[in-house]
Amino acid sequence: MSLPAREPARPPGAARRTNAAPGRNAFVYRPTASPQEAAIWTQRQVALTNLRTVAGRAYPRVTGLLREKSWIFFEILLPFLSTSAFVFVYRALEAPPQYIGFVVLGGAMTAFWLNVIWMMAQQLWWEKSQGNLELYFAAPMNIMAVLFGMAFGGFVMSSSRAAAVLVIATTVYGVTFAIDQWALLIGVFLLTLAALYGLGMVLASLFLMWGREAWHLTQLLVEPVYFVSGLNFPVGRLGVLGSIAISILPLAVGLDAMRQLAFADAAYPIGTPSPAVEALILVAMTVVFLVLARWTLVTLERRARQEGRLSVRWQ
Amino acid sequence: MTTEPAIRPDAAGLASPEWGGFDMARTRGRGWPDVRRSFTTAVRLGWQMEANWTDPVLFFIYSVAKPLASALILVVMLDVISGGAKPEYRAFVVVGSALWSFVLSGVSGLAWMILDDRERYRMLKYIYVSPSDFLAVVFGRGVARIGVGAMGAAITLAIGVVFLNVPFDVSRIDWPILVTVMTLGVGSILAIALLLAAICMQTRQESWSYPEAAAGALFLVSGVVFPLSVLPLPVQALGLLTPLTWWVEGVRLALFPGGLTAIGGPGSLFTELTGTAGPGAAMIVLVLLATGAMATLGALAVFRASDRRAKDRGLLDQTTGS
Repeated sequence: MSLPAREPARPPGAARRTNAAPGRNAFVYRPTASPQEAAIWTQRQVALTNLRTVAGRAYPRVTGLLREKSWIFFEILLPFLSTSAFVFVYRALEAPPQYIGFVVLGGAMTAFWLNVIWMMAQQLWWEKSQGNLELYFAAPMNIMAVLFGMAFGGFVMSSSRAAAVLVIATTVYGVTFAIDQWALLIGVFLLTLAALYGLGMVLASLFLMWGREAWHLTQLLVEPVYFVSGLNFPVGRLGVLGSIAISILPLAVGLDAMRQLAFADAAYPIGTPSPAVEALILVAMTVVFLVLARWTLVTLERRARQEGRLSVRWQ
Repeated sequence: MTTEPAIRPDAAGLASPEWGGFDMARTRGRGWPDVRRSFTTAVRLGWQMEANWTDPVLFFIYSVAKPLASALILVVMLDVISGGAKPEYRAFVVVGSALWSFVLSGVSGLAWMILDDRERYRMLKYIYVSPSDFLAVVFGRGVARIGVGAMGAAITLAIGVVFLNVPFDVSRIDWPILVTVMTLGVGSILAIALLLAAICMQTRQESWSYPEAAAGALFLVSGVVFPLSVLPLPVQALGLLTPLTWWVEGVRLALFPGGLTAIGGPGSLFTELTGTAGPGAAMIVLVLLATGAMATLGALAVFRASDRRAKDRGLLDQTTGS
């Protein structure tokens, strides 16, 4: 049954709201007869609210890109320093120049991985510690939209870091790329990021349940993942371990494909799939991670509510 | 129903002295015994915060995984290029990356203690106004993380020897040198850590990454996983001024006498200046002592200055949303 729309009472002297009035939009003003009717949202309102949520959650990360200058310094400096250390290891070993390029590419991709684990996986735990998480759940939005917003903002933020590291390190260490298939390289890069942030969304959902262990386990996902992903060497050298990494870690498969495409003239160890096959693996990973993130989020949110963990802090 | 006694037994020590007056000694504290008690309590608290979030097995895996993975990355890089033809270089990188877990845990331990207690648990101001010596509490909390780092370093070395064919002979260890350089080295790590804790006391939400950034910079110039000779000369000079360079060199010399040197060798600034292939044990200890003393004095001065400024600007109870 549809209820008649009625203008709510206006304070005396207040101007009548029109469609052109500020604030007159699908979110904040809709004449309804009752609170019950106001709670019934149209599909358009739901979609717009979720889009607005994505934009709202991405905003601080995109804006913070320039607002907090010291972040720029440290987030470029950190990957650059560790990249430089590995470059010098290869120089000490008198390795072929392509290996220095492998390290530089891997160093640039660490910006994304660090962003995924620190600012995606751990974010909901972080919000819980600050007391924001209950506000997220109380707000009339889909929490997946929050995760998408975090991912989009993180992607923009990390892209600038990765680009800076890539340009600086390439210039300083004289890396030469040999690219034959630009379109595939760009496609693989974007698919890698989609799969990476999908994995970040899964981890964020998992960390919803955890307390301090989330912090510690995040740390556990840095160096061991770098190792099995072949951050500084072709992952095919790891044999079975490398194959397992390629089948479950977007960083491993993405890096391997990008190296094959960016250093087409390099002697590359056999044993890993071709870039086209690895692109398909990344597509599959993206779909699986997004579906899994949705499922884990719903399941673990329900469980966290039952166990009263959504608002537990400092545990 | 039971009623609570007027004076709880555990509060008896807080009551007036038997003679009924005011005991001035209580306001002054008892000196060293109080410092020792604060330190041990902080160590215990720090250890529980570090370790009681999970079961011992997972904690062990967590403690070992990071340094071990770091060492394995380097070992595979080495094998990719040399095909296992340089066993002495393998020992070089395994020892360097194992020791570096000390530095990472020590440096981040003290700085994160300040940030954890100020930003997350919001207890720093209460710790500060308690009768405990603040410096003793800071060091005590950091010791727990150094313990975790030490465990990771020891296991990485053991795995390097057992599984990665690092040539190691216990009978060849130079124990006096090892004990001396380890003592001086850990002192230097604590000094650098104190310096970073002092900086973090002044800074805002991005400070969590400062220890890692500092450790990353030191990693590059300390000859941890590659000889300094591959670096440009001015950077080598910077590395020679760092106590960590001499600490890592000293431990390598004690564990693998006659092995590769990170400081000397062809093309190195050290060899150019001294005309020798590498530093001897006495020189390592002396330079480590000198650079470590400078680092310690500098860190103490900076910490005291930071402490005064934090009180002046109200930084001890600021939270910056990090």
